Amino acid sequence: MSMNLLEIENLKTYFFTEAGVVKALDGVTFNVEKGCTIGLVGESGSGKSVTAQSVLRIVPRPGRIVGGKILFNGEDILAKKESEMRSYRGKKISLIFQDPTSSLNPVFTIGNQLSDIVMQHNRVKKDEAAEAVVKALKLVKLPDPEEALTRYPHQFSGGMKQRICIARALLLNPDLLFADEPTTNLDVTIQAQIIALLVDLQKNIGLTLVMITHDMGIVTQMCKCVVVLYAGKVMEIGSIEKIFEMPHPYTEALLKAVPRLDQTRKLISIPGNIPNLIEPPSGCRFHPRCQYAVERCKEEVPPLQDVGGGHMISCHRWRELNGG
Amino acid sequence: MGLVKYVIRRLLYMIPLILGISIVVFLVMYAAGDPIQIATAGNPSITEAQRQFLRQYYGLDDPLHVQYFRWLDHFLHLDFGMSLYGGKPVNEIIATYFWETLKLQLVSILLAFAISIPIGVYSAVKQRSIFDYLFSGISIAGISFPVFFLGIVFILVFSFQLGLLPSSGAHGAPKLWPVFGIEHPLLDELVHLAMPATVLTLASLAYNTRLLRAGMLEVMRQDYIMAARASGIPEKKILFKYALKNAIMPLITLLGLSIGFAIGGAPATETVFSWPGLGRAYVTAAQRLDFPLIMGITMIITIMILVANLITDISYASIDPRVSIE
Repeated sequence: MSMNLLEIENLKTYFFTEAGVVKALDGVTFNVEKGCTIGLVGESGSGKSVTAQSVLRIVPRPGRIVGGKILFNGEDILAKKESEMRSYRGKKISLIFQDPTSSLNPVFTIGNQLSDIVMQHNRVKKDEAAEAVVKALKLVKLPDPEEALTRYPHQFSGGMKQRICIARALLLNPDLLFADEPTTNLDVTIQAQIIALLVDLQKNIGLTLVMITHDMGIVTQMCKCVVVLYAGKVMEIGSIEKIFEMPHPYTEALLKAVPRLDQTRKLISIPGNIPNLIEPPSGCRFHPRCQYAVERCKEEVPPLQDVGGGHMISCHRWRELNGG
Repeated sequence: MGLVKYVIRRLLYMIPLILGISIVVFLVMYAAGDPIQIATAGNPSITEAQRQFLRQYYGLDDPLHVQYFRWLDHFLHLDFGMSLYGGKPVNEIIATYFWETLKLQLVSILLAFAISIPIGVYSAVKQRSIFDYLFSGISIAGISFPVFFLGIVFILVFSFQLGLLPSSGAHGAPKLWPVFGIEHPLLDELVHLAMPATVLTLASLAYNTRLLRAGMLEVMRQDYIMAARASGIPEKKILFKYALKNAIMPLITLLGLSIGFAIGGAPATETVFSWPGLGRAYVTAAQRLDFPLIMGITMIITIMILVANLITDISYASIDPRVSIE
């Protein structure tokens, strides 16, 4: 039996803004199997990043986790003291950000920023910490890692900076790595290199990787299993095959919005915008934009149900649409 | 190597600036009136011939350019000439007042800078808390109350009511500090500094804190702060190491500017506390059109501002690696 490294159950993270309560995550449930790469997919504002921040318990104010359960290695993360939680961050669970330029502190050298993390978690001296940093920089194939220690972020290109960010996340051999759209701000050739690097690292060091993205292309390249989020709710969970074969109406719309060279069909965008999360739509949150929506979708929230073989769907009409 | 070259280049740029300013001030000063007329206005028995003699004596009847070059020649020999009042050399007057002003200003500027760091950081972290509102209120009060008002209130309370602190001067209280009964020159200095320095600190504290608070609020939103948090760095270190170094830039600029302007002094504060400083001397000199003294103090202020700007730019480059001095 495979073991789940991360289990998220009915997670609710709300932002208490002046305009009202933004329900960024409103009952999110999914598991991440150890040693596996899963894709966390959805449009901007669907709650992907907030999920990662919730697991690390670094949701910025005015956000707060208001309910649910997060089990990491079987331990309840939300019950931990802040000091204990801090010892998890960067050491057991790490995060890579979308924009490498803004996620490195511009006024400290790479060596300084990264050694700080090593020294925070392990009682080592400065030069030992620096060695650990060089090792991590070698792992991500940064040229001249020793020299990089004394350099500042602005002296590197975007792709190199993202390598440094990945090295920072891997400094202490974490069990779980969230990569929050790590290639969105890079140009295409660099994107491919970073993806290849992540795939490589995942295989070689047995990392469990949660790939946060809105790019279905990346998902098909990297992930075995996909969680589809929409407006703070899970729409679908399933293996990559299941999801392409019999997708949820939202996933189907997402897939149609991916440009492909080998097809002559038109790109179809999803009509409308992601809903206002202060007063989300009643019933199924996707119903105002769903081409299959019926009266029932407006009234009843569809439960997330196993439709066979671990394929979970939250849709009233999925069965009839897929000939069930 | 680059730094030395840079400093030399900047110092060379200062020469035309200093000359330009001296010419402008010289012309404005002469357009303002006749110092001999002002000096003798209170004496009804003086004759025009005697006035003319005085003008001749001080060389005020020469053509303007002759006077300017004479002044310049002296200036290049580091001599500012004689004051029209009291017959003392301007160099001597500046030397006595300069340190008093610098002492008062440096103490208050550095105090305001140091105090504003914890307050600015805390106000940003606890944005919209009671502390933040309370301090905003105090800040606005500090800016709004004129220093002479605060100064007079301080004198009333601490000198006249409580009899704790001397109300004027920089040295030598008649009855030295009745509370401790200790006699020590340093204590004497501190006792005299206490009120004027506090008033000046309060006046500039608000700007410092507001600037730092705004900077911190901006910086705390950045990804690198969340990245530090996600790496398990404790909050205190994030605030005072990672965020502060990014947020402190505007404060460094303000610090440089204030030190530059410090020598112009705080005429109001110096007047209220009868502080023997350059600010007060400058105002008096301007009122009496004491040409040599006006020129002398102006040049000192100009040079201080230019040097302070240079130091600010260099410290900028040393704090922010993206700023290069070339």
